[in-house]
Amino acid sequence: MTELTGARPVMAGIARLRTGRYVARGALYAVLAVGGIAMVFPFLWMLSTSFQTAGALLVPPPQLIPSPIETGNYAEIAAAFPLWRFLLNSVGVATISTVLQVATSAMAAYAFARLTFRGRDLLFLLYIATLMVPLQVTIMPLFVEMRYLGLIDSYPGLILPSIASAFGTFLLRQAFLSLPRELEEAAFMDGAGHFTVFRRIVLPLARPALATFAIFAFMASWNSFLWPLIIVNSPDLMTLPVGLSNLQGRYATSWNLLMAGSTVAVLPILIVYAVGQKYVIRGVTLTGLKG
Amino acid sequence: MIVGQRGWRHRGAIALFVAPSLVPLLLFTVGPMIASAGLSLLSWNLLRPPVFVGLDNFERLAGDANFRAAVIHTLGYVAGYLPLVLVGGMLIALALNQRLRGLAIFRTAYFLPVVTSWVVVALMWRWLLDPRAGIVNFALGLVGIDGPGWYTDPAWAMPSVIVASAWKDLGFVMVILLAGLQSIPEEYYEAASVDGAGRWSRFRNITIPLLTPSLFFVLVISLINNLQVFDQVWVMTKGGPAGATSVVVEQIVTNAFSYGQMGYAAAMSWVFFVVLLVITIVQFRLQRRWVTYD
Amino acid sequence: MRSLTRALAAVAATAMLAGACTGGGATPASATPGDTPGDTTPTASPVAPSAPAEPVTLTYFTFSAAPDHLEDLDAIVQAFEQKNPNISIEVQTAAYADYFTKLQTQVAGGSPPDTFELNYENSVAYASSGALLDLSPLAAADPDFDPSVYYPKAYEVFQADGKQFGVPEQFSDVILFYNKDLFDAARVAYPDPSWTWEDEREAAEKLTDTANGVWGHYQPIQFFEFYKVLAQNGGTFFNADQTQSTFNDAKGVEAAEWLIGKLDKTMPSDAFGPDQDSALFKSGKLAMWHTGIWLFPSLADAPFAWDVSVEPGNVTKAHHFFANAVVASATTEHPAEAWAWLRFLTSSEEAVKVRLDASWELAAVADQSLFEPYLSQTPPDNREAVFDALADIVTPPVIEQQSQMQDIVTQALEKARLGQMSIPDALDEAATQVDALLQ
Repeated sequence: MTELTGARPVMAGIARLRTGRYVARGALYAVLAVGGIAMVFPFLWMLSTSFQTAGALLVPPPQLIPSPIETGNYAEIAAAFPLWRFLLNSVGVATISTVLQVATSAMAAYAFARLTFRGRDLLFLLYIATLMVPLQVTIMPLFVEMRYLGLIDSYPGLILPSIASAFGTFLLRQAFLSLPRELEEAAFMDGAGHFTVFRRIVLPLARPALATFAIFAFMASWNSFLWPLIIVNSPDLMTLPVGLSNLQGRYATSWNLLMAGSTVAVLPILIVYAVGQKYVIRGVTLTGLKG
Repeated sequence: MIVGQRGWRHRGAIALFVAPSLVPLLLFTVGPMIASAGLSLLSWNLLRPPVFVGLDNFERLAGDANFRAAVIHTLGYVAGYLPLVLVGGMLIALALNQRLRGLAIFRTAYFLPVVTSWVVVALMWRWLLDPRAGIVNFALGLVGIDGPGWYTDPAWAMPSVIVASAWKDLGFVMVILLAGLQSIPEEYYEAASVDGAGRWSRFRNITIPLLTPSLFFVLVISLINNLQVFDQVWVMTKGGPAGATSVVVEQIVTNAFSYGQMGYAAAMSWVFFVVLLVITIVQFRLQRRWVTYD
Repeated sequence: MRSLTRALAAVAATAMLAGACTGGGATPASATPGDTPGDTTPTASPVAPSAPAEPVTLTYFTFSAAPDHLEDLDAIVQAFEQKNPNISIEVQTAAYADYFTKLQTQVAGGSPPDTFELNYENSVAYASSGALLDLSPLAAADPDFDPSVYYPKAYEVFQADGKQFGVPEQFSDVILFYNKDLFDAARVAYPDPSWTWEDEREAAEKLTDTANGVWGHYQPIQFFEFYKVLAQNGGTFFNADQTQSTFNDAKGVEAAEWLIGKLDKTMPSDAFGPDQDSALFKSGKLAMWHTGIWLFPSLADAPFAWDVSVEPGNVTKAHHFFANAVVASATTEHPAEAWAWLRFLTSSEEAVKVRLDASWELAAVADQSLFEPYLSQTPPDNREAVFDALADIVTPPVIEQQSQMQDIVTQALEKARLGQMSIPDALDEAATQVDALLQ
């Protein structure tokens, strides 16, 4: 008898808990959705503007749905500029930069996280210090250096300064430092050398951080403006941001065209992000190392 | 005992790991940095050959009211921006660390602003905040509030820049903290719940400590990057109105390329470099207190 | 992830190779010393020319071509290359906002373009720094070159110390645009050359209808407008030997009051967003607009009738005269070819025709008959106003620290506009700061 009367309040309690959790979940979704809209809204506007006619812009009240819808803007910028060339250049440069940066930063990060040597912390501080002087100040000496190397207006000139990344070294060092050492120590006892441990144990474990850095490295290179502006002269080598900046006239800018170009510029990074995210999300077997 | 702790094999390992990034860094970043330190002793309008002026630039800097104002604005910017972006990014990362439906969509949505260049983002915000045609004032008008000029109003310009910047960088913090959260092995949580730890206790004793390396990174990098805030100020307000949003790097760039004072700009950036270095060193010293590495 | 990155790297490498093969920039002509033949080497003319027909590539850096006139510039380049088969022109463009950052870096770094564009205000610093080639010997040695082909004032302003350091390329001015439909509706007489500030103010008051979001006029509050209205009020920016600023005297204060006093009465005070004044005028909400002739093409399809008139003066009339020149770098390796290109770009029949047809500002030539096609285009009907304004021009005050001076004045006006300082105080502060630059 007591069990029956005891069970009903418990069941009711569980039911309350469950609805409570659903309510909490629902509230979470609502908040995230509102936040998500706030994040995405300006993009919808960018997209919308890219389909507007020049005359319809900026007339209050602001319209989200363009009317009339102008599909010609994309064709227009492709006709005015070698858009495909810019895109290709950006893809190539960003990809090479990203691969090189991830590789060099991961290796340096391993040294800073796992190897001990005299002056290690000072050297690491040097890496971080390179982030503390704005490019606008170092660009003059760097340009002169490139001139002496004969690399002005060339792909190597464009890419060389971004082979290494102090940002990436820092990020990956933090990631490597938080990996449990037991697996590495076990491998060392089995006779593995540093490079093997690096390749077989550390890198796979740090995959989320590596993927994250790869996304950022790609993004930074993709959006990079000042150095490509200075080092590149011929339209053949121009990257997308520099190419698109030409849409800004001295007195007036065709915003609808600029937005069309910017929409095109955003798409590849989104693709990289989507692909990279797969590696950041926890895999089913993260620490599934056997033996 | 790790094999080859001393000796040539060890040194070889160090060289192998460090050289690929150190060499390009020295050649293309550190070298120009040192050269730019030399620039600070010159007076150079970029068109004429430079003239050696010793420490004159630094003397001038000490009495420059514009520079002082820029430093204050920069500190104000960081003070407003940092809490917004750290707390906001953290909350979103925690929220998106769970198994939710539509996770990928949320993750993409929050990262979208990070991915776009400031030229576009600043423009979007200028439109949003446009006093006459912008949606923000339009919406405020619907509820009867007469919105201010936002980025055209000296009192609201810096807050506008702060909000726009925090909005844009939330996704950056989110992605880094998410990666950190995802790296925490499931076993720790499982072991803890087996031991009877509740959600809050797991959060406090597992999540937070193991997230501190990522948090440390975010803090250090955000400070370094945002004390050098430039792009958004340049595109949104150009340091105006009436100098209300002038910041240190904006002063450096204006002096270097608009006013023909490259040496002075270099001096400015090196004084600021010292400030950044000290702040960073302090943070590295303090990390022993709160950052736990495994 | 490895295989993915490897695949991407392969794609990227292929792209690089493809790019390098189709004329990518393997041999940068400006970086290596010594003569480097251009990538596009045309065949030399079979008829033996008097000058050695060695193929030459000239770089030309411009801010005025992108984005609207790339094709026009291309047409001029083609015409030039046809007449001069041994010279090929490599055009480089940048947006105006980025142009000088890049140009200064190139000049300072020892790798300037052979020829490039400069606006008048910036040209003084370049000339006095010795970065520009003196064109006078080349001009003198050129048998069929006559400087009178250029608009006289435009040619003169690019001289200094007896040297000709640039050739005027285009000029423009600022006039008063007005919306005829709004004037008709309010039954106000159209602006005419006899107007003074008072006439404009009266008309603007009648035309302003804030209930319907319509404003009487718009005039930017910055350095360029200020020195012009100062001149319209009979004032001067500097004293005679340019050792002291005089713009903060009573006439200067009145001029600043004219600019700032319109706010919120007949001029919108919040129209400072990107192209806001343009949006207002184009949507028919602005009756009068002080802006430049470069906007004619963008207003061609406006849905209302509009015309132009010279701006009103006050004590006297004064109008802007903005001029761009094309110049050659002092270190160019091909001065003779550079001269030929500069001359063609600015005064050849083909170039002038292209410019005027495209309403690409105004070619700086003296022959009025060439402007007939430009003058007969409508709208606006009263294009003669463009040239009438040139009867009373005021050139910008220019000093070596030009940018700093402009910023000081514009900021002072901003502070006054925002009510942070009174107009006399703001101008006094600016004058002190500008005087410090004159030392």
